[in-house]
Amino acid sequence: MRPLDENETTALFEKLFKFTGNNLKNIVENPSYEGPDPNAGRYCFRLQKNRVYYVSESMVKRATNIGRAQLVSLGTCIGKFTKGGNFHLTVQSVNLLAANAKHKVWLKPTSEMSFLYGNHVLKGGLGRITENIVAGDGVVVFSMSDVPLGFGIAAKSTQDCRKLDPNGIVVLHQSDIGEYLRMEDEL
Amino acid sequence: MDTQEHQIDLGHLMAFDPLHHFPSPPPSREELVKECLQKGTVLVQLIADALFNLPSTEDIDGPLVKLPPPMTRLPREKHLPKPKPPTKWELFAKAKGIKNRKKDKIVYDEQTGTWKRRHGYDRVNDDKDIPIIEAKMTDEPGEDPFAKRQAEKRKRVEKHEKNRLQNLKQAAKVGALPSHIQLAATALPITGTQAAPKKASKNELQDIASMAAAATASGGKFDKKLLGEKPEKHKGKYRKFLPVVEGTGIGSQERQQTEKVLNRLISKNSHEILNVDKAINMYNVKKEKKRKNQRGKDSSTSSKLNPKKQLQKKSLKKGGSSKKGKSK
Repeated sequence: MRPLDENETTALFEKLFKFTGNNLKNIVENPSYEGPDPNAGRYCFRLQKNRVYYVSESMVKRATNIGRAQLVSLGTCIGKFTKGGNFHLTVQSVNLLAANAKHKVWLKPTSEMSFLYGNHVLKGGLGRITENIVAGDGVVVFSMSDVPLGFGIAAKSTQDCRKLDPNGIVVLHQSDIGEYLRMEDEL
Repeated sequence: MDTQEHQIDLGHLMAFDPLHHFPSPPPSREELVKECLQKGTVLVQLIADALFNLPSTEDIDGPLVKLPPPMTRLPREKHLPKPKPPTKWELFAKAKGIKNRKKDKIVYDEQTGTWKRRHGYDRVNDDKDIPIIEAKMTDEPGEDPFAKRQAEKRKRVEKHEKNRLQNLKQAAKVGALPSHIQLAATALPITGTQAAPKKASKNELQDIASMAAAATASGGKFDKKLLGEKPEKHKGKYRKFLPVVEGTGIGSQERQQTEKVLNRLISKNSHEILNVDKAINMYNVKKEKKRKNQRGKDSSTSSKLNPKKQLQKKSLKKGGSSKKGKSK
Protein backbone atom coordinates (compact mmCIF):
# COMPACT_ATOMS: atom_id res chain seq x y z
CA MET A 1 0.00 0.00 0.00
CA ARG A 2 1.34 3.41 -0.81
CA PRO A 3 -0.04 6.88 -1.37
CA LEU A 4 -0.41 8.12 -4.94
CA ASP A 5 2.30 10.22 -6.48
CA GLU A 6 1.55 13.47 -8.24
CA ASN A 7 0.87 12.14 -11.72
CA GLU A 8 -1.39 9.44 -10.40
CA THR A 9 -3.28 11.91 -8.23
CA THR A 10 -3.76 14.18 -11.23
CA ALA A 11 -5.14 11.32 -13.32
CA LEU A 12 -7.51 10.28 -10.52
CA PHE A 13 -8.77 13.79 -9.84
CA GLU A 14 -9.30 14.52 -13.51
CA LYS A 15 -11.49 11.46 -13.89
CA LEU A 16 -13.44 12.32 -10.76
CA PHE A 17 -13.77 15.94 -11.85
CA LYS A 18 -15.59 14.87 -14.98
CA PHE A 19 -18.38 13.50 -12.81
CA THR A 20 -18.37 15.77 -9.80
CA GLY A 21 -17.08 19.14 -10.95
CA ASN A 22 -16.31 21.37 -8.01
CA ASN A 23 -17.85 18.88 -5.58
CA LEU A 24 -14.50 17.15 -5.83
CA LYS A 25 -13.53 19.31 -2.89
CA ASN A 26 -16.24 17.63 -0.82
CA ILE A 27 -14.88 14.22 -1.71
CA VAL A 28 -11.33 15.10 -0.78
CA GLU A 29 -12.19 16.96 2.40
CA ASN A 30 -14.94 14.68 3.64
CA PRO A 31 -14.89 14.39 7.43
CA SER A 32 -14.82 10.81 8.65
CA TYR A 33 -15.98 9.76 12.09
CA GLU A 34 -14.76 6.22 11.97
CA GLY A 35 -11.90 5.89 14.41
CA PRO A 36 -11.71 6.28 18.18
CA ASP A 37 -10.49 9.86 17.73
CA PRO A 38 -13.30 12.32 18.55
CA ASN A 39 -11.95 14.77 15.95
CA ALA A 40 -13.10 14.04 12.44
CA GLY A 41 -10.32 12.71 10.30
CA ARG A 42 -10.22 12.86 6.52
CA TYR A 43 -10.37 10.40 3.70
CA CYS A 44 -7.25 9.51 1.77
CA PHE A 45 -6.46 7.63 -1.40
CA ARG A 46 -4.15 4.67 -1.24
CA LEU A 47 -2.80 2.44 -3.95
CA GLN A 48 -2.54 -1.31 -3.48
CA LYS A 49 -1.74 -3.52 -6.46
CA ASN A 50 -2.81 -0.93 -9.04
CA ARG A 51 -6.17 -0.37 -7.33
CA VAL A 52 -7.06 2.94 -5.76
CA TYR A 53 -8.90 2.80 -2.43
CA TYR A 54 -10.78 5.63 -0.72
CA VAL A 55 -10.10 5.06 2.97
CA SER A 56 -10.47 7.03 6.15
CA GLU A 57 -7.34 7.98 8.05
CA SER A 58 -7.91 5.74 11.05
CA MET A 59 -8.45 2.75 8.76
CA VAL A 60 -5.21 3.47 6.92
CA LYS A 61 -3.28 3.58 10.14
CA ARG A 62 -4.62 0.18 11.11
CA ALA A 63 -4.06 -1.30 7.70
CA THR A 64 -0.33 -0.70 8.02
CA ASN A 65 -0.30 -3.62 10.41
CA ILE A 66 -1.12 -6.01 7.59
CA GLY A 67 1.66 -7.08 5.29
CA ARG A 68 1.67 -6.09 1.66
CA ALA A 69 1.12 -9.60 0.34
CA GLN A 70 -1.70 -10.28 2.78
CA LEU A 71 -3.62 -7.02 2.33
CA VAL A 72 -6.50 -7.63 -0.10
CA SER A 73 -8.62 -4.52 0.14
CA LEU A 74 -9.29 -1.55 2.38
CA GLY A 75 -12.04 1.05 2.46
CA THR A 76 -13.81 1.47 -0.89
CA CYS A 77 -12.11 0.63 -4.14
CA ILE A 78 -12.88 3.43 -6.55
CA GLY A 79 -10.89 2.41 -9.57
CA LYS A 80 -7.76 0.93 -10.97
CA PHE A 81 -4.73 1.90 -13.00
CA THR A 82 -4.14 0.00 -16.21
CA LYS A 83 -0.79 -1.33 -17.33
CA GLY A 84 -0.48 1.67 -19.58
CA GLY A 85 -0.85 4.08 -16.68
CA ASN A 86 -4.43 5.19 -17.40
CA PHE A 87 -6.99 5.35 -14.64
CA HIS A 88 -10.44 3.73 -14.94
CA LEU A 89 -13.26 4.18 -12.45
CA THR A 90 -14.94 0.94 -11.43
CA VAL A 91 -18.52 0.31 -10.34
CA GLN A 92 -17.62 0.39 -6.64
CA SER A 93 -17.28 4.17 -6.86
CA VAL A 94 -20.96 4.60 -7.78
CA ASN A 95 -22.13 5.57 -4.31
CA LEU A 96 -19.35 8.09 -3.87
CA LEU A 97 -20.03 9.63 -7.27
CA ALA A 98 -23.79 9.64 -6.79
CA ALA A 99 -23.49 11.69 -3.62
CA ASN A 100 -21.43 14.35 -5.36
CA ALA A 101 -22.56 14.16 -8.96
CA LYS A 102 -23.08 17.29 -11.01
CA HIS A 103 -24.92 15.76 -13.95
CA LYS A 104 -27.61 13.14 -13.39
CA VAL A 105 -29.88 11.11 -15.60
CA TRP A 106 -32.97 9.22 -14.45
CA LEU A 107 -34.09 6.10 -16.31
CA LYS A 108 -37.61 4.86 -16.88
CA PRO A 109 -38.35 1.54 -15.18
CA THR A 110 -38.66 -0.23 -18.54
CA SER A 111 -35.11 0.50 -19.61
CA GLU A 112 -33.42 -0.06 -16.26
CA MET A 113 -32.74 -3.71 -17.01
CA SER A 114 -31.26 -2.88 -20.37
CA PHE A 115 -28.77 -0.55 -18.76
CA LEU A 116 -27.95 -3.09 -16.07
CA TYR A 117 -27.02 -5.58 -18.76
CA GLY A 118 -24.43 -3.18 -20.07
CA ASN A 119 -26.21 -1.41 -22.91
CA HIS A 120 -26.09 2.30 -23.55
CA VAL A 121 -28.97 4.57 -22.54
CA LEU A 122 -31.28 5.38 -25.44
CA LYS A 123 -33.45 8.43 -25.61
CA GLY A 124 -36.59 6.34 -25.29
CA GLY A 125 -35.49 5.17 -21.86
CA LEU A 126 -34.71 8.61 -20.52
CA GLY A 127 -36.92 9.87 -17.72
CA ARG A 128 -35.28 13.05 -16.50
CA ILE A 129 -32.03 14.75 -17.28
CA THR A 130 -30.27 17.67 -15.61
CA GLU A 131 -29.78 20.89 -17.54
CA ASN A 132 -26.54 22.10 -19.06
CA ILE A 133 -24.92 18.81 -19.85
CA VAL A 134 -22.20 19.11 -22.48
CA ALA A 135 -21.30 16.17 -24.70
CA GLY A 136 -18.39 14.29 -23.15
CA ASP A 137 -19.37 15.06 -19.54
CA GLY A 138 -19.50 12.39 -16.88
CA VAL A 139 -23.06 11.46 -15.94
CA VAL A 140 -24.41 9.33 -13.08
CA VAL A 141 -27.41 7.17 -13.97
CA PHE A 142 -30.26 6.79 -11.46
CA SER A 143 -33.51 4.90 -11.47
CA MET A 144 -36.76 6.79 -10.95
CA SER A 145 -36.57 5.94 -7.24
CA ASP A 146 -33.19 7.65 -6.95
CA VAL A 147 -31.17 4.46 -6.70
CA PRO A 148 -27.77 4.94 -8.38
CA LEU A 149 -27.46 2.39 -11.18
CA GLY A 150 -24.12 3.29 -12.67
CA PHE A 151 -22.34 5.96 -14.63
CA GLY A 152 -21.31 6.85 -18.13
CA ILE A 153 -20.35 9.61 -20.52
CA ALA A 154 -22.91 11.92 -22.08
CA ALA A 155 -23.06 11.41 -25.82
CA LYS A 156 -25.07 14.54 -26.52
CA SER A 157 -25.78 17.81 -24.74
CA THR A 158 -29.16 18.39 -23.11
CA GLN A 159 -30.36 20.56 -26.00
CA ASP A 160 -29.41 17.95 -28.60
CA CYS A 161 -31.11 15.23 -26.56
CA ARG A 162 -34.46 16.90 -27.11
CA LYS A 163 -34.04 16.77 -30.87
CA LEU A 164 -32.91 13.13 -31.01
CA ASP A 165 -35.05 10.29 -32.32
CA PRO A 166 -36.06 7.72 -29.66
CA ASN A 167 -33.34 5.25 -30.59
CA GLY A 168 -30.46 7.65 -30.30
CA ILE A 169 -27.79 7.04 -27.67
CA VAL A 170 -27.85 9.59 -24.90
CA VAL A 171 -25.39 8.15 -22.37
CA LEU A 172 -22.51 5.84 -23.22
CA HIS A 173 -22.36 3.10 -20.62
CA GLN A 174 -19.19 2.87 -18.55
CA SER A 175 -20.13 0.95 -15.43
CA ASP A 176 -23.32 -0.35 -13.81
CA ILE A 177 -24.22 -2.27 -10.68
CA GLY A 178 -24.99 -5.36 -12.75
CA GLU A 179 -21.24 -5.76 -12.97
CA TYR A 180 -21.23 -7.08 -9.42
CA LEU A 181 -22.78 -10.22 -10.88
CA ARG A 182 -21.31 -10.23 -14.36
CA MET A 183 -17.71 -9.39 -13.59
CA GLU A 184 -17.42 -10.69 -10.08
CA ASP A 185 -13.90 -11.97 -10.66
CA GLU A 186 -12.53 -8.78 -12.09
CA LEU A 187 -13.68 -6.38 -9.40
CA MET B 1 13.87 56.94 -55.54
CA ASP B 2 16.78 55.70 -57.63
CA THR B 3 15.42 52.73 -59.49
CA GLN B 4 18.27 52.49 -61.95
CA GLU B 5 20.94 51.09 -59.66
CA HIS B 6 18.86 48.35 -58.03
CA GLN B 7 20.06 44.88 -58.94
CA ILE B 8 17.23 42.43 -59.26
CA ASP B 9 17.99 38.70 -59.46
CA LEU B 10 14.66 36.97 -60.08
CA GLY B 11 16.16 33.48 -60.06
CA HIS B 12 16.87 33.92 -56.34
CA LEU B 13 13.94 36.41 -55.83
CA MET B 14 16.50 38.96 -54.64
CA ALA B 15 16.69 42.75 -54.93
CA PHE B 16 19.85 44.57 -53.92
CA ASP B 17 20.57 48.27 -53.65
CA PRO B 18 24.36 48.75 -53.77
CA LEU B 19 24.16 52.51 -53.28
CA HIS B 20 22.28 52.48 -49.97
CA HIS B 21 23.95 53.95 -46.92
CA PHE B 22 22.72 55.60 -43.74
CA PRO B 23 23.64 59.32 -43.85
CA SER B 24 23.84 59.27 -40.06
CA PRO B 25 23.38 56.44 -37.57
CA PRO B 26 19.70 56.47 -36.58
CA PRO B 27 19.04 57.69 -33.01
CA SER B 28 17.16 54.68 -31.65
CA ARG B 29 16.46 51.03 -32.40
CA GLU B 30 12.87 51.79 -33.39
CA GLU B 31 14.06 54.44 -35.88
CA LEU B 32 16.51 51.97 -37.36
CA VAL B 33 13.80 49.33 -37.66
CA LYS B 34 11.41 51.81 -39.30
CA GLU B 35 13.98 52.90 -41.88
CA CYS B 36 14.93 49.32 -42.67
CA LEU B 37 11.28 48.41 -43.14
CA GLN B 38 10.75 51.34 -45.47
CA LYS B 39 13.74 50.42 -47.57
CA GLY B 40 12.66 46.80 -47.53
CA THR B 41 9.17 47.60 -48.77
CA VAL B 42 10.64 49.54 -51.70
CA LEU B 43 12.78 46.55 -52.70
CA VAL B 44 9.95 44.02 -52.28
CA GLN B 45 7.73 46.24 -54.45
CA LEU B 46 10.42 46.16 -57.16
CA ILE B 47 10.54 42.36 -57.04
CA ALA B 48 6.74 42.17 -57.27
CA ASP B 49 6.74 44.53 -60.27
CA ALA B 50 9.40 42.48 -62.03
CA LEU B 51 7.52 39.24 -61.32
CA PHE B 52 4.31 40.57 -62.77
CA ASN B 53 6.16 41.75 -65.85
CA LEU B 54 7.23 38.20 -66.68
CA PRO B 55 5.10 36.25 -69.16
CA SER B 56 2.61 34.11 -67.19
CA THR B 57 0.59 31.00 -67.94
CA GLU B 58 -2.87 30.38 -66.51
CA ASP B 59 -3.28 27.72 -63.84
CA ILE B 60 -6.20 26.64 -61.62
CA ASP B 61 -4.63 28.46 -58.68
CA GLY B 62 -3.80 31.59 -60.61
CA PRO B 63 -1.15 32.92 -62.99
CA LEU B 64 1.99 30.78 -63.02
CA VAL B 65 5.36 32.31 -63.84
CA LYS B 66 8.61 30.55 -64.67
CA LEU B 67 11.53 32.29 -62.98
CA PRO B 68 14.67 32.95 -65.03
CA PRO B 69 17.90 31.16 -64.02
CA PRO B 70 19.72 32.97 -61.21
CA MET B 71 22.47 35.43 -62.05
CA THR B 72 24.37 35.66 -58.75
CA ARG B 73 26.56 32.73 -57.85
CA LEU B 74 26.26 31.68 -54.25
CA PRO B 75 29.38 30.41 -52.48
CA ARG B 76 29.88 26.73 -51.81
CA GLU B 77 27.87 25.27 -48.95
CA LYS B 78 30.30 22.51 -48.03
CA HIS B 79 34.11 22.55 -48.15
CA LEU B 80 36.10 21.34 -51.16
CA PRO B 81 36.86 17.63 -50.94
CA LYS B 82 40.27 17.06 -49.45
CA PRO B 83 42.72 14.99 -51.52
CA LYS B 84 42.80 11.51 -50.09
CA PRO B 85 46.14 9.99 -49.11
CA PRO B 86 47.46 7.27 -51.47
CA THR B 87 46.57 3.71 -50.42
CA LYS B 88 49.20 1.12 -49.57
CA TRP B 89 48.92 -0.47 -53.01
CA GLU B 90 49.22 2.88 -54.76
CA LEU B 91 52.42 3.63 -52.86
CA PHE B 92 53.82 0.21 -53.73
CA ALA B 93 52.84 0.51 -57.38
CA LYS B 94 54.42 3.92 -57.62
CA ALA B 95 57.62 2.69 -56.04
CA LYS B 96 57.84 -0.33 -58.35
CA GLY B 97 56.62 1.53 -61.40
CA ILE B 98 53.62 -0.76 -61.95
CA LYS B 99 51.04 0.72 -64.28
CA ASN B 100 47.34 -0.07 -64.44
CA ARG B 101 46.38 -2.12 -67.46
CA LYS B 102 42.87 -2.07 -68.85
CA LYS B 103 41.26 -5.53 -68.62
CA ASP B 104 38.61 -6.91 -70.94
CA LYS B 105 35.27 -8.03 -69.65
CA ILE B 106 35.13 -11.11 -71.87
CA VAL B 107 38.09 -13.50 -71.88
CA TYR B 108 38.76 -16.60 -73.90
CA ASP B 109 38.57 -19.77 -71.81
CA GLU B 110 41.10 -22.39 -72.89
CA GLN B 111 39.36 -25.24 -71.09
CA THR B 112 35.98 -25.00 -72.76
CA GLY B 113 37.13 -23.07 -75.82
CA THR B 114 34.48 -20.35 -75.42
CA TRP B 115 34.48 -16.68 -74.51
CA LYS B 116 33.47 -16.27 -70.88
CA ARG B 117 33.23 -13.22 -68.66
CA ARG B 118 36.06 -12.41 -66.29
CA HIS B 119 33.97 -11.97 -63.11
CA GLY B 120 30.53 -13.23 -62.10
CA TYR B 121 28.32 -16.13 -63.10
CA ASP B 122 30.04 -18.72 -65.26
CA ARG B 123 33.41 -17.01 -65.07
CA VAL B 124 36.73 -17.93 -66.60
CA ASN B 125 38.98 -19.32 -63.89
CA ASP B 126 36.43 -20.50 -61.38
CA ASP B 127 37.51 -22.77 -58.55
CA LYS B 128 34.60 -25.15 -58.94
CA ASP B 129 35.42 -25.85 -62.60
CA ILE B 130 38.70 -27.58 -61.86
CA PRO B 131 38.07 -31.35 -62.31
CA ILE B 132 41.43 -32.77 -61.30
CA ILE B 133 44.25 -31.43 -59.16
CA GLU B 134 47.51 -33.34 -59.54
CA ALA B 135 49.18 -34.41 -56.31
CA LYS B 136 52.61 -33.09 -55.59
CA MET B 137 55.37 -34.78 -53.59
CA THR B 138 54.96 -32.24 -50.77
CA ASP B 139 51.26 -33.07 -50.24
CA GLU B 140 50.14 -35.01 -47.17
CA PRO B 141 47.86 -38.03 -47.81
CA GLY B 142 44.84 -36.83 -45.76
CA GLU B 143 44.48 -33.30 -47.17
CA ASP B 144 41.70 -32.20 -49.48
CA PRO B 145 43.29 -29.96 -52.16
CA PHE B 146 39.95 -28.45 -53.18
CA ALA B 147 39.17 -27.43 -49.61
CA LYS B 148 42.69 -26.09 -49.34
CA ARG B 149 42.15 -23.86 -52.35
CA GLN B 150 38.89 -22.55 -50.92
CA ALA B 151 40.48 -21.79 -47.55
CA GLU B 152 43.31 -19.92 -49.24
CA LYS B 153 40.85 -17.88 -51.25
CA ARG B 154 38.92 -16.97 -48.11
CA LYS B 155 42.14 -15.88 -46.39
CA ARG B 156 43.03 -13.72 -49.36
CA VAL B 157 39.61 -12.05 -49.36
CA GLU B 158 39.92 -11.31 -45.65
CA LYS B 159 43.34 -9.79 -46.17
CA HIS B 160 42.00 -7.56 -48.95
CA GLU B 161 39.14 -6.39 -46.72
CA LYS B 162 41.55 -5.61 -43.90
CA ASN B 163 43.72 -3.55 -46.18
CA ARG B 164 40.71 -1.65 -47.51
CA LEU B 165 39.63 -0.76 -43.97
CA GLN B 166 43.17 0.33 -43.11
CA ASN B 167 43.18 2.62 -46.13
CA LEU B 168 39.88 4.14 -45.07
CA LYS B 169 41.24 4.72 -41.57
CA GLN B 170 44.24 6.53 -43.00
CA ALA B 171 41.92 8.69 -45.06
CA ALA B 172 39.69 9.38 -42.06
CA LYS B 173 42.74 10.52 -40.06
CA VAL B 174 43.36 13.24 -42.64
CA GLY B 175 39.66 13.98 -42.98
CA ALA B 176 39.34 12.79 -46.56
CA LEU B 177 36.78 9.98 -46.14
CA PRO B 178 34.67 9.47 -49.29
CA SER B 179 31.25 11.07 -48.69
CA HIS B 180 29.11 7.94 -48.86
CA ILE B 181 31.15 6.27 -46.13
CA GLN B 182 31.08 9.45 -44.03
CA LEU B 183 27.27 9.47 -44.25
CA ALA B 184 26.98 5.79 -43.38
CA ALA B 185 29.15 6.24 -40.32
CA THR B 186 27.30 9.22 -38.83
CA ALA B 187 23.71 8.93 -40.15
CA LEU B 188 20.73 7.84 -38.06
CA PRO B 189 20.08 4.10 -38.34
CA ILE B 190 16.99 3.02 -40.26
CA THR B 191 14.23 1.97 -37.89
CA GLY B 192 14.39 -1.74 -37.33
CA THR B 193 18.03 -2.20 -38.22
CA GLN B 194 20.70 -2.33 -35.57
CA ALA B 195 22.47 0.89 -34.75
CA ALA B 196 26.25 0.89 -34.50
CA PRO B 197 27.26 0.48 -30.85
CA LYS B 198 28.12 3.88 -29.35
CA LYS B 199 31.37 4.35 -27.46
CA ALA B 200 30.77 5.04 -23.78
CA SER B 201 32.00 8.42 -22.58
CA LYS B 202 34.27 8.89 -19.57
CA ASN B 203 31.40 9.89 -17.26
CA GLU B 204 29.29 6.94 -18.34
CA LEU B 205 32.17 4.58 -17.68
CA GLN B 206 32.68 6.07 -14.23
CA ASP B 207 29.01 5.57 -13.37
CA ILE B 208 29.13 1.99 -14.55
CA ALA B 209 32.33 1.37 -12.60
CA SER B 210 30.75 2.67 -9.39
CA MET B 211 27.72 0.42 -9.99
CA ALA B 212 30.02 -2.55 -10.47
CA ALA B 213 31.95 -1.68 -7.30
CA ALA B 214 28.71 -2.05 -5.32
CA ALA B 215 28.12 -5.54 -6.71
CA THR B 216 29.82 -7.32 -3.83
CA ALA B 217 28.32 -9.53 -1.14
CA SER B 218 27.92 -6.64 1.29
CA GLY B 219 26.92 -4.06 -1.31
CA GLY B 220 30.33 -2.41 -1.42
CA LYS B 221 29.93 -1.02 2.12
CA PHE B 222 33.22 -2.24 3.58
CA ASP B 223 35.44 -1.74 0.54
CA LYS B 224 38.13 0.88 0.56
CA LYS B 225 37.42 3.60 -1.94
CA LEU B 226 40.05 3.93 -4.66
CA LEU B 227 41.42 7.26 -5.83
CA GLY B 228 39.13 9.00 -8.27
CA GLU B 229 36.18 6.63 -7.74
CA LYS B 230 32.87 8.44 -7.85
CA PRO B 231 30.15 7.65 -5.28
CA GLU B 232 27.05 5.96 -6.66
CA LYS B 233 24.52 8.17 -8.41
CA HIS B 234 21.33 6.30 -7.36
CA LYS B 235 21.77 4.67 -4.02
CA GLY B 236 19.07 2.03 -3.67
CA LYS B 237 15.75 3.67 -4.45
CA TYR B 238 14.92 5.08 -7.85
CA ARG B 239 11.53 6.56 -6.89
CA LYS B 240 10.54 8.40 -3.78
CA PHE B 241 6.99 8.07 -2.42
CA LEU B 242 5.20 9.93 0.32
CA PRO B 243 5.02 8.07 3.65
CA VAL B 244 1.97 5.84 3.96
CA VAL B 245 0.94 7.16 7.35
CA GLU B 246 2.28 10.36 8.85
CA GLY B 247 1.00 11.17 12.32
CA THR B 248 -2.53 9.82 12.52
CA GLY B 249 -3.16 9.14 8.87
CA ILE B 250 -2.86 12.00 6.43
CA GLY B 251 0.34 13.91 6.90
CA SER B 252 1.16 17.45 5.92
CA GLN B 253 3.05 16.34 2.81
CA GLU B 254 0.13 14.39 1.44
CA ARG B 255 -2.26 17.18 2.28
CA GLN B 256 -0.05 19.62 0.41
CA GLN B 257 0.15 17.40 -2.64
CA THR B 258 -3.60 16.79 -2.87
CA GLU B 259 -4.30 20.47 -2.34
CA LYS B 260 -1.88 21.42 -5.07
CA VAL B 261 -3.40 19.02 -7.57
CA LEU B 262 -6.95 19.99 -6.63
CA ASN B 263 -6.28 23.71 -6.97
CA ARG B 264 -4.57 23.24 -10.29
CA LEU B 265 -7.51 21.26 -11.60
CA ILE B 266 -10.14 23.68 -10.35
CA SER B 267 -8.32 26.72 -11.68
CA LYS B 268 -7.93 25.01 -15.06
CA ASN B 269 -11.68 24.51 -15.26
CA SER B 270 -12.69 27.73 -13.58
CA HIS B 271 -14.09 29.05 -16.85
CA GLU B 272 -16.87 26.49 -16.62
CA ILE B 273 -18.12 27.61 -13.21
CA LEU B 274 -20.04 30.54 -14.60
CA ASN B 275 -22.62 29.33 -17.08
CA VAL B 276 -22.77 32.35 -19.34
CA ASP B 277 -25.98 31.46 -21.16
CA LYS B 278 -27.86 30.78 -17.96
CA ALA B 279 -26.59 34.03 -16.45
CA ILE B 280 -27.72 35.97 -19.53
CA ASN B 281 -31.15 34.34 -19.43
CA MET B 282 -31.59 35.09 -15.76
CA TYR B 283 -30.53 38.68 -16.30
CA ASN B 284 -32.95 39.13 -19.18
CA VAL B 285 -35.82 37.61 -17.21
CA LYS B 286 -35.08 39.95 -14.34
CA LYS B 287 -35.10 42.93 -16.68
CA GLU B 288 -38.41 41.90 -18.18
CA LYS B 289 -39.96 41.49 -14.75
CA LYS B 290 -38.73 44.92 -13.72
CA ARG B 291 -40.14 46.47 -16.88
CA LYS B 292 -43.51 44.81 -16.36
CA ASN B 293 -43.68 45.98 -12.76
CA GLN B 294 -42.87 49.52 -13.81
CA ARG B 295 -45.49 49.46 -16.55
CA GLY B 296 -47.98 48.03 -14.12
CA LYS B 297 -47.25 50.86 -11.66
CA ASP B 298 -47.58 53.52 -14.38
CA SER B 299 -50.93 52.18 -15.62
CA SER B 300 -52.27 51.93 -12.09
CA THR B 301 -51.68 55.66 -11.59
CA SER B 302 -53.66 56.46 -14.79
CA SER B 303 -56.81 54.29 -14.31
CA LYS B 304 -57.95 51.97 -11.62
CA LEU B 305 -60.06 49.63 -13.75
CA ASN B 306 -57.43 48.46 -16.18
CA PRO B 307 -55.35 46.12 -13.98
CA LYS B 308 -58.48 44.16 -13.09
CA LYS B 309 -59.36 43.76 -16.73
CA GLN B 310 -55.88 42.42 -17.38
CA LEU B 311 -56.28 39.85 -14.61
CA GLN B 312 -59.57 38.67 -16.08
CA LYS B 313 -57.94 38.26 -19.46
CA LYS B 314 -55.13 36.19 -17.94
CA SER B 315 -57.53 33.80 -16.22
CA LEU B 316 -59.45 33.32 -19.45
CA LYS B 317 -56.26 32.52 -21.25
CA LYS B 318 -55.25 30.01 -18.61
CA GLY B 319 -58.60 28.23 -18.87
CA GLY B 320 -58.33 28.21 -22.63
CA SER B 321 -54.90 26.66 -22.76
CA SER B 322 -55.73 23.94 -20.26
CA LYS B 323 -58.84 22.99 -22.24
CA LYS B 324 -56.67 22.58 -25.30
CA GLY B 325 -54.35 20.23 -23.42
CA LYS B 326 -57.21 18.01 -22.26
CA SER B 327 -58.72 17.71 -25.70
CA LYS B 328 -55.46 16.18 -26.99
